[in-house]
Amino acid sequence: MGNGERIAVTIDADLKELIPGFLQARHDDVAVIGASLEKGDWNAMYIAGHSMKGSGGGYGFDEITAIGAAIETAAKAKDAAGVKHGVARLSDYLQRIDITYA
Amino acid sequence: MGILIVDDSKESRDLLKTFLKGAGYKDIITAASAQEAFEALGLKGEEHRHGVTFRVILLDVVMPEMNGIEACRIIREDAHLADTPVIMVTAVGEQDSLNQAFEAGATDYITKPVSKVELLARVRSVLRLYQEMERRKVREKELIETLKQLSEANRVLTQLSAQDGLTGLANRRHFDENFSAEWRRAMRDRQPLSVVMADIDHFKLYNDHYGHQGGDDCLRQVAAIIGQVVRRPGDIAARYGGEEFVLVLPDTPLEGGIKIAEEVAAAVRTLKLPHEKSPVVPYVTLSMGVACMVPDRSKEMKELIERADRALYAAKRQGRNRVKAAEDHSGIN
Ligand SMILES: [Mg+2]
Repeated sequence: MGNGERIAVTIDADLKELIPGFLQARHDDVAVIGASLEKGDWNAMYIAGHSMKGSGGGYGFDEITAIGAAIETAAKAKDAAGVKHGVARLSDYLQRIDITYA
Repeated sequence: MGILIVDDSKESRDLLKTFLKGAGYKDIITAASAQEAFEALGLKGEEHRHGVTFRVILLDVVMPEMNGIEACRIIREDAHLADTPVIMVTAVGEQDSLNQAFEAGATDYITKPVSKVELLARVRSVLRLYQEMERRKVREKELIETLKQLSEANRVLTQLSAQDGLTGLANRRHFDENFSAEWRRAMRDRQPLSVVMADIDHFKLYNDHYGHQGGDDCLRQVAAIIGQVVRRPGDIAARYGGEEFVLVLPDTPLEGGIKIAEEVAAAVRTLKLPHEKSPVVPYVTLSMGVACMVPDRSKEMKELIERADRALYAAKRQGRNRVKAAEDHSGIN
C-alpha cells in the first residue's frame, strides 16, 4: 500500500461543508493516536478507532470505518504494531483520496 | 418540538444533524453526553422542568461515563418522556446490546456507519408511529370525556324521571316501582313494612285563598320537611298525588311508623305556615294514617296502602291535624 495511486471517493453533496473538518480531524488522529501509543494510553486509541469506525462510512469513507475498526481491535488487544499499522493506513489513505460531491 | 441527537462523537452528531437538516427537519439539538441530554430534556437538577419533549431522540449506545442504554432507561422513567420515540444508534458488531436497549425502552435502532437513506426512513417511521399514538391518545381522551358526560346525563335523567318536578321528592312512578321491591324484600326478610299516607289539611281552601303559586310553595315547603325527617337509607318519601304524600319505611314496626309520622307532623307545625282559612288552626297541618304489615304470600301489597289510607280518613274524620294508626294492622311486634 502507499504506492501513490489515487483513490476516487464520491461524497453526498449535503456533507460538503463537513468534509474539510472531518478530514482535518482524521489528520489530527494520526498525530493523536501516535502520541497515545507512546504514552501507552490504550483507552484513548480504542476510543479514536471506535469513533472512526462509527463515522467514516457515514461520511462516505468506508475505508476509514475499516481502518477505525482495525485500530479499535488492535488497541483492545494492546497490539502496538496493529495500531501503528492502522495509523499508517489512515495517513496513506488521506493522502490519496480525490473527492467528488454528488 | 425538535429532534435530540445524543452522541459523544462530534463527527457523528454533525453527520446526523446534517442529514436531518437536509431532509427539512428543524430544531435539531445535539448533546455530547447523557448528562447533556438530560439537561436538554429537563431531567437535570432539583427542579425537573417537565414537559421538554422532542419528537424523536437519537441516542448513541457507546459513550464514556453513562452509556446510551442506561440513559434510555432514565429517560423512560420520566412520565412525560415515556412515549417519546428513542432510536438507538449502534455500531455494527454491538448488536448484542440491542436486547438491553429494547428492554430499556428503545423504540428502534440504526447502525453506524449511518446511511442517510436508512436514517431518514427510521426517523420518518417512528414519527408516524408517534403521531398515530398521539392521535389515539386524543381520541381516547375525547371518548372518556364523552362517556363521562353520557353517564352524567343518564344519572340526571334517571333522577329526573324518578323525581317529582315540583317538590323534588320521589314521584308516583318511583314509588310504584320501589314499593313493590320493598314489599318483596320485607316478605323475604320477614320484616315489618310501614306505610304512612299524609295529606295537607284543607289544601283546597289554602289554594283558593293563596292562589296556585302559594299552593305550590306550600307543597314544596312541606315536602322539604318530609325530606329532612325521612332520611334513613331505604326509606321512600314520595308525592303520591295532589297534596298527598306517602312514606314507605322498611324494617319499621307500627310504633316506628307512628313515631316518624309524628315527627313529620310536628316539624310541619313548627313551620307555622299561615293557613288563614283552615278551620283547624290558622296554619298548615297534616293528617296522617299509618299502617304496618309483615308481608307474606297470603297478603296483597295494595292492602297495606288501603289500610294506611283508611287510617288517614279516620284522622280526618276525627278533626284532622293528627296521626292515626290502622286498627286492623297485623304488623305489630
Ligand atoms: Mg459513541
